[in-house]
Amino acid sequence: MLSKLLWPVLFLGMLAGCQQQDNSLGETTSSIIDGRKIYRHSEDGKPTSLDPIKASTVYSNMMAVNIFDTLYAYKYLQRPYELKPNLAADFPQVSDDGLVYTIQLKPGNSFTDHPAFKDGIGRNVTASDFVYSILRSFDPLNGGTGAWLWQGKIVGIDEWKTNGANYDQPPSGLLAVDDLTIRITLTQPYPQLVYTLAMGFSGITPREVVETLGQEFGSRPIGSGPFVLDSFDADVAYLSKNPGYRQETLDIYAEGYLPERHAGLGLESLHGKTPPFIDQLEVHFIKENASRWNSFTKGNEIQYTTVPKDKQNTVLVSADPITLHPLIEDNYHSSYGMEAGFVYHGFNMLDPVFGQTGDPQHDARSKALRCAIRKAHNWDQKNRAFYFGLGSVFPGIIPPSVPEFNAELSMESVSLDIPGALDLLAEHNWNDQNLPDFEYHVTGSVLQKQFFEQMRGFLNKINYPTNKIKYQPYPSFGNFNKAVKNRQAPFFFMAWTLDYPDAENTLQLFYGPNQTPGSNNFNYQNPEFDQLYEASSVMLPSPERTALYQQMNQMVIDDCVVISGLSRKKINLWHKNVITYPDREIVGGYHLKYVDVK
Amino acid sequence: MNHYLRFVLHKLIEGIPLILGVTLVSFVLMVYFGPDLTYELLGKNPSESDIIEVRQMLGYDQPFWWRYLAYLQELLTFDFGLSMVKDQPVADMLSRAIPVSLALMLPGFVLGNLLAVMLAMAAARHRGAWQDRAIMSGAVLGMSISFLVIIIAFQVIFASSYGLNWFPVRGWQVQDAQGQFNTMAYLNHVTVPTLATVFVSLGYNTRFYRAVLVEELHKDHITTATAYGHKPVTIMYKYMLKNALIPIITRVMFSIPMIVISGSLLIESYFGIPGIGLITYEAIMAGDQPVLKAVVGLTAVLFVVVLMVAEILYQLADPRINGGSGT
Repeated sequence: MLSKLLWPVLFLGMLAGCQQQDNSLGETTSSIIDGRKIYRHSEDGKPTSLDPIKASTVYSNMMAVNIFDTLYAYKYLQRPYELKPNLAADFPQVSDDGLVYTIQLKPGNSFTDHPAFKDGIGRNVTASDFVYSILRSFDPLNGGTGAWLWQGKIVGIDEWKTNGANYDQPPSGLLAVDDLTIRITLTQPYPQLVYTLAMGFSGITPREVVETLGQEFGSRPIGSGPFVLDSFDADVAYLSKNPGYRQETLDIYAEGYLPERHAGLGLESLHGKTPPFIDQLEVHFIKENASRWNSFTKGNEIQYTTVPKDKQNTVLVSADPITLHPLIEDNYHSSYGMEAGFVYHGFNMLDPVFGQTGDPQHDARSKALRCAIRKAHNWDQKNRAFYFGLGSVFPGIIPPSVPEFNAELSMESVSLDIPGALDLLAEHNWNDQNLPDFEYHVTGSVLQKQFFEQMRGFLNKINYPTNKIKYQPYPSFGNFNKAVKNRQAPFFFMAWTLDYPDAENTLQLFYGPNQTPGSNNFNYQNPEFDQLYEASSVMLPSPERTALYQQMNQMVIDDCVVISGLSRKKINLWHKNVITYPDREIVGGYHLKYVDVK
Repeated sequence: MNHYLRFVLHKLIEGIPLILGVTLVSFVLMVYFGPDLTYELLGKNPSESDIIEVRQMLGYDQPFWWRYLAYLQELLTFDFGLSMVKDQPVADMLSRAIPVSLALMLPGFVLGNLLAVMLAMAAARHRGAWQDRAIMSGAVLGMSISFLVIIIAFQVIFASSYGLNWFPVRGWQVQDAQGQFNTMAYLNHVTVPTLATVFVSLGYNTRFYRAVLVEELHKDHITTATAYGHKPVTIMYKYMLKNALIPIITRVMFSIPMIVISGSLLIESYFGIPGIGLITYEAIMAGDQPVLKAVVGLTAVLFVVVLMVAEILYQLADPRINGGSGT
């Protein structure tokens, strides 16, 4: 009997012995195989299409900026985030009235090879390619998701779309003056324009390849970025170094290197070298935390991960200040950074119960109800329960990741105040008999159910009857988003990821004309807010503009439109044979071209 | 006309209503109860006209019956167009994923069934004895533990640095540098998923097969064979197993479409294997109708084929069954 059991074990042992693997516990192996440098990155989500005009998620954007070129990029190590020219030769020349941007391209950059090109050899990238690439977002046949960045802002671009989207007749506001010169004419000053030209949405695509492949371009992309896509499936994308990528040496000091922040990571060795440094990039899309962690700690599989929620106990010794377990410190490099965005709960201000109707008496009562709910919300408990105490709670809608953040702002709107909430309800004649049904709308998941349970607990503390607090889950984000856009969700839980480091990106969520189906999911209508928004939206960064931003922030806080907010913090870990400084926030995937391995 | 050819044609014609029924029901579910992709594909600040454009692009503005007929045409031509989410031809996605799922699941499927039959025979032979109880206890154990727990446990035990660290945690690199299939690499990647699959399927299969075989034990022909003094092995294989083949064939055959089309979502997710299970799951979650239509349609077709092949096998196993052909 024993011998029968022994055979399978022996077989497994022999099979394993045939593999050239390192069996030491978590010890990293060399990432240079047959002279080729291979880096295995991982992400906790998956991109869908790789077409840059659909790069609306952090995962798609990360892939897009590595396959395609953008005019601008973010400095690798500089924080707060700072732009630098990428394919553009320099920053734009802007006319005195702030309406005309002239941008020169660096010469001699070419697309990677594809049969659609003459003789199958990638041709030079020109200004016309940029014009074509932006226009693609406006072509109704393409299903692009980034047009909102330029809609109504570039002269003639909306008319171009309504007039049949003829690429041979670009709008007057978006012109290729010559092969290397772009001229953008705006309808009004748009100080955030350059930021949008660093986003994956503005990745430059070759027209002949797009027209040859049609919609398939999204799975077989051809660009001029640092990497070339070899293959892509549900689990992993394999990319190779683009051998024709422009030769520019890395100046880590110009990129924001600070010894006190970056020493010990090996970044100094990259100074003066020409990226990309690796021959092959693998991006593994692993949603399953246990699997990602096992793969990371194995030593010869993925070399980078963010710490999964259920492993934070293993990794962290303390959350404030962040201290990692000595074993983790010994085996891996680490960094931690705040997300460029935040989570929040929002009210639909057009809801007949929780919102505003124009009746002063009703509006005063509904505002008291919203404010009482906000006072009952315990951010600290939420932070501890779901974010391991690593999140940063802040008041209002200007998160800590933007330069306009005001660290001095009163924390009252994010502080637990049960007596204050009860007083407010009593003052406005709310009691357990007349409190309305409270529907909590979210995309259904175990985690969201846990959020709901906690919210119900918070509301119970202000005597909100349990039977009036209802969970309203949706089977997918699409269905949830549909309910929000159709104003069927009086209260919802969401997250916002910043597109660029400017508070305008979050303030526009409360701008009246952006009401649903636009980005103003709150349907917040405040003429005073709108006036300030319109005034500030054409201003360059300045103390005056920041002051306007702060006023708008205070209005949203005072009107109890939103229960906000918390910016999550992620811990990045990577093997010690990898030289990198990962950041997938606003920098997107730009850091991948600077990764080196040993 | 040849008996089997006539039988095949007969079954194929019989399968048409089944295919129409399955596709219609699933299409109704997809259209009226599936995720609305419109609101997944919108930009951050959409307008009413953007919503209309997306709906047009997705074909949501077309009448239901028009869309269903288009689906049937796609099924006939096996051209399901492009995935709405991935921008890839559905046919390419499936042709890449189905062989992977087959290669992944087949060893576990074959081993799981073979071992289960062997264990079931041993249990049936020693019915009521300690061997029977031990095998059935093991089967109940396999059935009782969640597949997810088994996958994670096996991954930790066999693949991770916390355990034996013998096999890869993730991936499906079964080709060598020249792009040729590498048997050792394949075994390296398939072993732990196979062990997990066998562990789980063994429980269910063994119980089922044991029940079938025990029922056979009570039949008159077994008593007669025993009375004639045949050896237990002869009785077991020649009389008992052969006569129990019909339910065994049924179980095995009807598992095949699940392997080919559904794959195993959990195995593929946790081991990072790009099979059909993962593609199907993601299509369901995203409301990617072209992929779902292809998977549902192919599953229906495959069931018809399996039904047909199963009935042919029944006839081979038991000549008394004539498949209703009247011959």
